[in-house]
Amino acid sequence: MFKPTPLGRVGLHLANLLVILFLVFPIIAVVIGSVQSEKSLQADTRAILPPEYTFDNFRVILTQGEQKGRVFEQATYLPDNIKAFYGAALNSLIVAVSVTLLTLVLGSLSAYSIARLRVPWTVWLLQINIAARFVPIIVLMIPLYVMFRSGGMLNSLWGVIIAQTGFLLPYAILILAPYFETISHELEEAARIDGCSRFGAFVRIVLPLSTPGLSSCGAIIFIISWQDLLITMILNSRREFMTLPVIIASLVGDVHVFFNLLMAICLLALLPSVVLVMMLQKYVVQGLSAGAVKG
Amino acid sequence: MADQAAAGGAGTLIVPARRPFWKRELPVGWLAFFMNTPSMIVLAGVLAYPIYYAGYLSFHQVGLAQMRRGIFPFYGWQNYINLFEDPLFWLALKNTITFTAIVVTVEVVLAIAIGLLLMQTSVWTSRVTRFLMLLPYAVPPIANGLIWSFIYNFKFGFLNRVLLTTGLASEPINWAGHADTALVAVAVPYIWRTLPFAVLLVYAALQGMNRELYEAAAVDGASAWRRFWHITLPLLRPIIVVILILRTSFAFAVFEEVMAITQGGPGDATWVSAWYGYKVSFAPPFNIGMGAASAYVLALIVGLFAIAYVKVIYRRTT
Repeated sequence: MFKPTPLGRVGLHLANLLVILFLVFPIIAVVIGSVQSEKSLQADTRAILPPEYTFDNFRVILTQGEQKGRVFEQATYLPDNIKAFYGAALNSLIVAVSVTLLTLVLGSLSAYSIARLRVPWTVWLLQINIAARFVPIIVLMIPLYVMFRSGGMLNSLWGVIIAQTGFLLPYAILILAPYFETISHELEEAARIDGCSRFGAFVRIVLPLSTPGLSSCGAIIFIISWQDLLITMILNSRREFMTLPVIIASLVGDVHVFFNLLMAICLLALLPSVVLVMMLQKYVVQGLSAGAVKG
Repeated sequence: MADQAAAGGAGTLIVPARRPFWKRELPVGWLAFFMNTPSMIVLAGVLAYPIYYAGYLSFHQVGLAQMRRGIFPFYGWQNYINLFEDPLFWLALKNTITFTAIVVTVEVVLAIAIGLLLMQTSVWTSRVTRFLMLLPYAVPPIANGLIWSFIYNFKFGFLNRVLLTTGLASEPINWAGHADTALVAVAVPYIWRTLPFAVLLVYAALQGMNRELYEAAAVDGASAWRRFWHITLPLLRPIIVVILILRTSFAFAVFEEVMAITQGGPGDATWVSAWYGYKVSFAPPFNIGMGAASAYVLALIVGLFAIAYVKVIYRRTT
């Protein structure tokens, strides 16, 4: 806003440097931790950089434990769940994509009726959705576990998909409703004069014009679903239905914690969502602020 | 309409053909109803009913044996009595409140500071900060927790390496293993992960501010500090309230970082309410009825914030 003085510029650079260091510090830690052996981690506990670099941690994860490389040659024990990496990544992807699509379809239907169809109870619906966003996951998971258990729905991907969709739907509605309100009424009116029904105008006019809003919402829902631990961990205990976060969590209380291996699998799990967030930064920012303020 | 026009007998009127029923326009109310039905079914099944059912469970005796038989005997207020007599429940609540107070205070202060820093677009490093700001948001909470548990590790953790190499510490410090520092050790990663959201909101609010106000104040000779205190801060107040409510209610449910870094330890220094609900329900002795009661208490507390939030939002828009 104001041109800072030369001294002020130095101060601002320093302040930025501090913030940047704070932001990348854990990322540096995870990268350095993942490219060394356990031996080198424990050898010199004062050096920041490892004495030698190795990709064996990634190799053992990505070959599902078949190629152990030099680092794990003599290891008598390897956590079994490491071997389920591809299955877990695929499960994460299936769940996140399904939840995103389902939430977008259901959410845009509701959000449109809240934004455009002036029926009194839709406002009330919006308020319920705002309140629903506050419900802590653990509060839902205890009854859901009992419900899913008695219904035989534990250990299935679609059970997780339904639970996550329900949990994220209010958030999607809160992001989409204000976006639909910004779409011009005139285009919709024009389409209706040309013989489009109200619903037809929604599908043919409002939805195509809302691509940026739908992208924002979709990106955010995908990220939250990709990151979810609690819902999936409580509903799915069998390895073939675990997602990446659940695999990672299962390594926490393991008999032997290989930090180098853990950092490698953490890096592999956070990479997709980091790439996504950085690529769709603009949309993520819009979605986050719309969901928080305009609701 | 079409029928009326035809019955009117005005032969010259062009009577629009009656549309087949699937093309006919629904009344707005019905359209809204049908458009909301799918969401309503999902929300009723996954949100509304479980909330009711958690209340039901909290008044019944629900454990592994009862779940196997499928019969939950009525238990009255016993779950709540057991809960309120458990010192660990109160400790978890106290820890949650301390944790939330630390997180929210630090986040609001940092968010305002970093938001102002990001506005200094003439300094190129501010643009770098802005680009990297969203990075923590992308990191899954459980991965974040594990990364920090590596950072904090007493024997070969990354933080101790950095401190020892730079000479900021002479002895390794057991960050997550000391009862005094453990709660803060969990709060820092949580702040790291959730700060982008708060910064984003402050930054958006700052961008929307009227520059003329600042220029007028500068012409009148107001110092930078006075401009901040008397112009920026009052204008930021609505967004700060929003951040306070949202961050408080979400920090109250912190789970992943606790699970990854301390698992409630050392001792029970970092037991928080969500961890308590999880451990009581899903670890031996699987006392789901009592877990539901504790979840209900948590929901009630967070519910108060939700009501406050709805009030604030509606005062703002109307």
